[in-house]
Amino acid sequence: MIEDIVGKIGQEALRLIIGLVGVVAFVVVNALLLTWMERKVAGHMQRRIGPKEVGPFGLLQPIADALKLLGKEILTPKKVEKPLYYLAPTLIFIPALTSFVVIPFDAYLQVQDINVGILVILALSSLTVLSILVAGWGSENKYSLIGAIRSVAQNVAYEIPLLLSLLPVVMLTNSLSLKDIVEAQGKIWFVVLQPVAFFIYFIAAVAETNRTPFDLPEAESELVAGYHTEYSGMRFALFFLAEYTNIFIVSAIATTFFLGGYRGPLLPGILWFFIKSYLLVFVIMWFRWTYPRVRFDQLLNFSWKMLIPLTFVNLIITGGLLKL
Amino acid sequence: MVEEVKSGISQLLRERRPVEEPYGEKGYHLSVDMAPKDLIDVGRFFKEKGFYLACALCVDFRDYLELVYFFAHHEGHCRVKVTSRLDPQAPYAPSLSSVFGSALWYEREIHEFFGVRFEGHPNMAYLFLHGGIDFYPLRKEKVMVSEEDRALLNSFRPEEGEDTFFINLGPQHPSTHGVLRVVLKMDGEYIERAEPVMGYLHRMHEKMAENRTYLQFLPNTGRMDYLGAMAFNLGYVTAVERLCGIKAPPRAQYVRVIATELNRISSHLLWLGAYLADLGAMTPFLYVFDDREQILDILEGITGSRLTYCYFRFGGLFNDVDEDFITGVRRFIARMRGRFQIYDDLVTKNVIFINRTRNVGVITRETARQYGVSGPVLRGAGIAMDMRKKEPYAAYGEFDFSIPTGSYGDAHDIYLVRFKEMEESLNIIEQALNGLPEGPIMAEKVPKKLKPPKGDLYHVVETPRGELGIYIVSDESDIPYRMKWRVPSFANLMVFPELVRGCLLADAIAILGSLDLVIPEIDR
Amino acid sequence: MKVPPRPSFIAGVISLLKGLMVTLKAFFQPVVTSQYPRELLPISPRFRGHTKLLPDKDDPTKNACIACGICVRNCPSGSIKKVEGEKREGEKKKTATTYLLDFTTCSQCGICVETCPSGALAFSADFNPAGYRREDFYYDLVQEFEKRKEVK
Repeated sequence: MIEDIVGKIGQEALRLIIGLVGVVAFVVVNALLLTWMERKVAGHMQRRIGPKEVGPFGLLQPIADALKLLGKEILTPKKVEKPLYYLAPTLIFIPALTSFVVIPFDAYLQVQDINVGILVILALSSLTVLSILVAGWGSENKYSLIGAIRSVAQNVAYEIPLLLSLLPVVMLTNSLSLKDIVEAQGKIWFVVLQPVAFFIYFIAAVAETNRTPFDLPEAESELVAGYHTEYSGMRFALFFLAEYTNIFIVSAIATTFFLGGYRGPLLPGILWFFIKSYLLVFVIMWFRWTYPRVRFDQLLNFSWKMLIPLTFVNLIITGGLLKL
Repeated sequence: MVEEVKSGISQLLRERRPVEEPYGEKGYHLSVDMAPKDLIDVGRFFKEKGFYLACALCVDFRDYLELVYFFAHHEGHCRVKVTSRLDPQAPYAPSLSSVFGSALWYEREIHEFFGVRFEGHPNMAYLFLHGGIDFYPLRKEKVMVSEEDRALLNSFRPEEGEDTFFINLGPQHPSTHGVLRVVLKMDGEYIERAEPVMGYLHRMHEKMAENRTYLQFLPNTGRMDYLGAMAFNLGYVTAVERLCGIKAPPRAQYVRVIATELNRISSHLLWLGAYLADLGAMTPFLYVFDDREQILDILEGITGSRLTYCYFRFGGLFNDVDEDFITGVRRFIARMRGRFQIYDDLVTKNVIFINRTRNVGVITRETARQYGVSGPVLRGAGIAMDMRKKEPYAAYGEFDFSIPTGSYGDAHDIYLVRFKEMEESLNIIEQALNGLPEGPIMAEKVPKKLKPPKGDLYHVVETPRGELGIYIVSDESDIPYRMKWRVPSFANLMVFPELVRGCLLADAIAILGSLDLVIPEIDR
Repeated sequence: MKVPPRPSFIAGVISLLKGLMVTLKAFFQPVVTSQYPRELLPISPRFRGHTKLLPDKDDPTKNACIACGICVRNCPSGSIKKVEGEKREGEKKKTATTYLLDFTTCSQCGICVETCPSGALAFSADFNPAGYRREDFYYDLVQEFEKRKEVK
């Protein structure tokens, strides 16, 4: 009997371990892929070729970049607050990694289907805000602090529309589990039923990940680089990787909630999932290379005065229609 | 208007009367010489009449120092030269900064280069020569800097305040303004005070002009404003031609116009790309360089250079244009007209861009007059002054083009003015190309050693940034006695501290970009 | 002066979509860059590289410079350091034996080309000179002329 229990636990544990290793591997490969994709997309939108020398179509360029960053001297400025300074890059990567646990790549390719899946993701993404503040404060640099403060204000302002635009979908499926939400899109995708929610979610997602047009915290042409000014080498790489992983996560959530997740004819589910997610990632990159930056007070005004009332209206209408 | 001013000054001064000058030879209508104490009264008189201070300079005539002020009018056509002699041992003059805001920096520059002390000037610190000077550079003899003057020059100390901190914008900019440093006193996100610090690119072109012949100085003109080098070249060449009485043949004039207008389009295109890169949109920068490449290839085909041209010569051109040039320009015109739609869709109508630039950096007519603003910045404020129409030079009088103006004076209006100017430039090029006459490209009797007759001249042209004024004093030798370049970005930058008070930092970037500054021409 | 009205929400959204269409269209268009150094573009014949000596019209084996020194005096930057020549047997004018040009201070203005009385100077099409030291750019135009003669 003990062998049975050990066997079952062993099987579960083995499955979890394989899943987690797979997730970490995927995160690394995805981050490398996204840096390549960003540069290629930027290049072609600007009528030039992006990377092309290293590897076919420049596919090995991110590896060259990673090797370069690894080879850099890990500088620690003298006056920084050491515990906070060292904590920030790792802290920002934790929500990125852990959010992958609940994302359904395919019908049975989910590390663990927690029944409050989306709540886990949203709760952990607030940790990003904290780590940005930690980075800005620990850098002991007034430009970093200004960048961090702006970023925190922006993130807090856009968390609310993010949450509130996902709520109608939860209302439609009566469940917080991601798998259930995908399964409930059997007949019709939620983007058709909730177009306004999709629109608002997408804008809030772009703002959450600090991408143009909402990338004032990292505005290169204004002050220096914002909250990650004082970081160099691999620590800087971690911030960047976390940003790209976040982009993929918000696209994955949008796919799961609005575009039917892994559902689709002919091709295997995981392929559909990747196609839809990467399409949304492409759209986020497309936004970056088209629009100028929104000014900070206009950004906050847009969220508090336009997006949040719109989400409330949407919620009320959805609730009303569901009742009928 | 000239009569009015003449009678007004005669009444004001009583003992000194203004002299009417031949405008075609001198570039100004009236000249008045007066004692230094009357300067402020005359300044106030001009301010009431609606004039602006175009330029203030000093010439060292060994026995005396001569302060020269040029007053001009935006709408009417009248330029007045006001001079005042100072004793070289004790050069004191009252400061005009209480009347005209633009006098602030001109007087600082004169103080730094000549040692003239202006009484009543609030801030006599270094403008360009921050490294420290031991003797005044532009004086003809070596005059050492006195101790108290040294202390005065070193007196720039930004005052601290409660709850405020200082931020340096620059001198290394991610966008292509050049090396300008602006010390901002910030109160949280809002700017309380801005103080531009220049001189990082100061090469002292005015001293170089006093050591080279007229022909040898020609390459320097392209280096002052490298984006609008043709216009600077054209200004210098037409100024010296006017001084010597040389007339370039019509074919040369037409080609000069075509080349200058192409350069204007390329300068405006670069401004557009850099402005949007400042605001965060990286893509138009690359599109702009694609268009600029066409222009640069065309200009390389005739001049051989891509950025700093040295194409015009006194009396005509360096070499003639060929068929490739004409076909190239025609192809370019057709292509460029199609490209405007792209910029329109991507930038002009974009709501994010409009929100960033609307109601930002509003320039009123009063401010424009106070600081001597010129160029698209002035036209955005609603004053339709363009030197190509007002004082036509080099065949501009034969073409039919309009001057675009804005109505509100904010950054968006200035952007629209520059955009429309590009379209007008295409019209001018097309007209010039259609009417290109045959004939020689060089005037006949141009002496190898150019010795202009004794006298002075103030010649004005329109560069992509505004009104460029070249003041040449010649003493019959082949080396100029004094050459002063009144550059448009210098006056435009003076407006910046006013506009930016109380703004957010993001707005300051938008305003700085809309002024289209090229720092090498400010620093000379 | 009244503030111009802001664009309406719908107009704003349409403008954003139009912008997206522009970049999408550019995404599928061919690139406008050329892959230098694998792909060389033609250089205009009037390109202003460093100056070169031209052969004499009557006797192409010698260069046309008569070592008068006009270019040395007229150069604004003082880039032409030394021009020396000798008068050979049976010839009316001198021929240059040394012509030192310091290309690091040359501004390619063309004054030397224009003022040369014998038309001995022209611009070369050398658009990418490269070297490891500053001395690599101290050209002796007579030596370059001789080298060009040998190649032909």
